[in-house]
Amino acid sequence: MTVRFKQFPGVSLSEEEFRDGKVLYQMDELKAEYAWDTGIAIGTYLAGLKRGVILGVRCSHCRKVVVPPRTVCEWCFRPMDEYVELPDTGTVNTFSLCYITWDMRRISQPEIPAVIHIDGTSELGPASVVMGGILHKLGEVDPNEVHIGMRVQAVWKPESERTGAITDILYFKPIR
Amino acid sequence: MTFLERDAHAPQAWFGSLPAAHRYTYGLTGERFFRALKDEGKILGSYCPKCDHTYVPATVFCERCLGELTDWRDMGLVGELHTFTVLYVDYEGRPLEKPQVVGLVSFGDGGIVHFLNADPETLIIGMPMRAVLKPPAERQGSILDIQYFEPVQEA
Repeated sequence: MTVRFKQFPGVSLSEEEFRDGKVLYQMDELKAEYAWDTGIAIGTYLAGLKRGVILGVRCSHCRKVVVPPRTVCEWCFRPMDEYVELPDTGTVNTFSLCYITWDMRRISQPEIPAVIHIDGTSELGPASVVMGGILHKLGEVDPNEVHIGMRVQAVWKPESERTGAITDILYFKPIR
Repeated sequence: MTFLERDAHAPQAWFGSLPAAHRYTYGLTGERFFRALKDEGKILGSYCPKCDHTYVPATVFCERCLGELTDWRDMGLVGELHTFTVLYVDYEGRPLEKPQVVGLVSFGDGGIVHFLNADPETLIIGMPMRAVLKPPAERQGSILDIQYFEPVQEA
């Protein structure tokens, strides 16, 4: 039905119109606090990050190593509880150059989210489906030089500032 | 460590909050209604001549015949108490020190839900209630520009 409309009636509002009181409005903020139970595997993972280690978990049955840890092997459904300390290096599996922030502001220097295949984790066959991929950001890198397969290393926060969060890793930077 | 055991050093939960601030604009009709309340201290309704129905707060079309309503009317500040209730707990569920009275005050064929400044024992359904507005300088174009309704005092 909307195809019939070439031009929609109405006008968009500018920030000035709000500021100068040209349009009436209500401002409100929802109280949207939450607590997410980390569970056993992710809790251990976060505790590992606090001491500067990326923890993976090995399945004693099928020998796969995955990160982030989980308590049940997704492939053979057996319990996984053998934590392994992984190096903080890896390979860019996929990435994106984002010129818009999460709250829709334009930025001139892109943020670069990437899935990083951590060294020492399993690969599912020759295809680049990895089991040790963690989503993080890339830094200290020219956006034009980012490529799939680039070797990267984690840049950590100073130990005193770490809180047991994925942001204890600031970003991954290329290994030169 | 077995897979059922928690790491004693691990965080039990991840705490966060979602930034969900929002700005609500009233639209063309609401803008006119609240503008009149803010600048002129008036409660506006709109009248449908076809259905003989007066909408308060004003609407821009008739819900019954879907016709456009152009006859906007000043409804005055005195309405009739349609119904009321007494609140003993606040928004968060905590007991209130002083119970709060809220009610629906009817104007035309509609009405406004608001706070009532009165002892609930003295309230009678159907009694006239007057809107007490904030001083003009403090009004912001909100339903809270009406502070509360109170019974009309017999002179």
